[in-house]
Amino acid sequence: MKRGISVFTNYASAVFQRDVIAGAREVFDSFGYPVTVLEITTTPTHLSDVGLDERRIAGGLVITGVLPDAVLIDLHERDVPLSLVSHQIPGSHIPCVMPNNRQGIAMLMEHLVVANGRTKPVFIAGYDTQNDGIQRYTAFQQEAMRYNLHVPPEHILRGDFTPEVAAESMRQFLASDPDFDSVVAADYLMAEAAMSVIRASGRNIPSDVAVVGFGDAPEAAQAGLTTVAADVTELGRRAARQLIGQIEGLRIRGLTLLSTELIERAST
Amino acid sequence: MKPLKATREQIRQHNRQLMLRAVSTGLADNRAALAAETGLAKPTVSDLIGELIAEGLLVESGRGESTDSGGKRPTLIKFVPNARQVIGVSLDNGRAFAVLSNLAGQVIAQHYDELENCQGDEAIAVLTDVINGLVAQLDAPLLCIGVGVPGVVDVRGGIVVDSQPLGWTNFALVERLTRQYKVPVYTGNSAELTALAQYAFGLNSDEDSSNLVTVLVTNSVEVGITLDGTAYHQGGDISGLREGAVERLDTRLGWPAVQARIAELRAEAAQTMLPESGVTYMHVHYAAMNGDAAAQQLCDELSTSLAQIMAWIIGLLRPNHVSLAGPIVNLGEPFLNQIIAKAEAMLWPKVSDRVTFSLAYSGNLSAIGAAALALHRELDIL
Repeated sequence: MKRGISVFTNYASAVFQRDVIAGAREVFDSFGYPVTVLEITTTPTHLSDVGLDERRIAGGLVITGVLPDAVLIDLHERDVPLSLVSHQIPGSHIPCVMPNNRQGIAMLMEHLVVANGRTKPVFIAGYDTQNDGIQRYTAFQQEAMRYNLHVPPEHILRGDFTPEVAAESMRQFLASDPDFDSVVAADYLMAEAAMSVIRASGRNIPSDVAVVGFGDAPEAAQAGLTTVAADVTELGRRAARQLIGQIEGLRIRGLTLLSTELIERAST
Repeated sequence: MKPLKATREQIRQHNRQLMLRAVSTGLADNRAALAAETGLAKPTVSDLIGELIAEGLLVESGRGESTDSGGKRPTLIKFVPNARQVIGVSLDNGRAFAVLSNLAGQVIAQHYDELENCQGDEAIAVLTDVINGLVAQLDAPLLCIGVGVPGVVDVRGGIVVDSQPLGWTNFALVERLTRQYKVPVYTGNSAELTALAQYAFGLNSDEDSSNLVTVLVTNSVEVGITLDGTAYHQGGDISGLREGAVERLDTRLGWPAVQARIAELRAEAAQTMLPESGVTYMHVHYAAMNGDAAAQQLCDELSTSLAQIMAWIIGLLRPNHVSLAGPIVNLGEPFLNQIIAKAEAMLWPKVSDRVTFSLAYSGNLSAIGAAALALHRELDIL
């Protein structure tokens, strides 16, 4: 019987985490590795804080930054196979799997600017301490420069990958009677929340404001949201393969990128 | 001197590649048509097709139409692009960047890591760790590996003759990787492979890429050439060439040199939009578009250097198309137009009028070219 694999996450039933785990389980099951999903609710300083002995696990899959970098680096230095999903530790060689955030944002901006003639975007950001959030914001800044768009600081809204935060930020922004013609949200849930607030203010989507998001799900389709799809279940599968490769003897460093594709709907 | 005779194995290998190319390109889709197109005897075709079907590279797929003479409907043969996968890696621009593709050149996964100025054995370790990142993602047998490196490469011998960025001299790269991965490995210069990728997968439908030159500007300056659709393997690193009998090209065009020049121009400027840290070519592009004198000065200097290179290339080789590749493409179309105008001023109109230009935006073209090289050498289907 093979030693098991531990999957570390914060909210196992949240959409992103649920789909990553589903994809990872498919692959782990096919290779015969038992899986335990651990929901981390308080920040551990050691793996034993979550009731685990690293000698008893074949490896760990860590979804976003749910375990502190110091713990991950310590495990890596003690040769515990690890793969990170949507998280990267600068200066460390722990491999990870991420959607191609730069490509996705580039596609969205090209669609807005070139195909739809929008020149005054607003950006709703994710967490500024989490890799996807940082990369999508950096890519947005670069693409705005590419198209010579002047994006004032007040057009960068806090979202924290949380629909309620995004909605409140958009309410406050709209209260200042701003001049804007499009919204780029760092994820589709924040985009949906923003769309509700924008419509409630009497503005029409897309004729007054075009809206785009990142990531796809039935809810995004129902909302008519134009977005870039990064197959999150496939992200889980690829992360699982990366971990199994290490468990079975490959030394891996670096980042596996998943391509995105543009899905056009009524919001643009 | 007597010409060398092909061995039986070489002939067989050649004929296998003929079959694969004919089926994968749609030239023929059944045994009789393959025999007619290739000139090979029907029993030979049947044996080869049987072999390729047993290996999973081809598959029988239904019946075609009868011939005009009303004969038996032929069994159709289809190429299976997902039967094998290929890894292409490029080591340039401070990164080891790898793509996993199927036999049709479709990219299935990408993996990269920073080289962080690694040289020698450390660079080899980064290379193999990145290849391993895609070995872990294989869902079909690995056919071969292609590797693009900056510098001078002995393509036939599989030896990196001199790569200053990687600190490799007379390094038997192919032998090293073949020993570890137990599959055929092919190598070439990064710029050559960028040109090959553009030729193999087409620039766009309007561009003729059969005589194509790519100028790849990263930390070094390299040139990749395809002539009449064939990669010219004596191209490569031109960083050491001197501009104006004084400066090496990479001390003006290489990214470290550009960063240093930006710092100088910032210090001289009364005010500038160029940031003090974390500057990218995109920042320069944006600043130049908005009238920033320092950014415009930089673009002027860089375009002058590149125009001289392109003028020499066009005057000597008369290519159909010249493309600029590397992060410098983020200076955008206005920058390219500056280069073109300056290059044309150095050339006869009859020469320059026939050439088209483009910016090669893809960041992984060299890795894709490495995969294309491996596919071409192994199966001759691209």
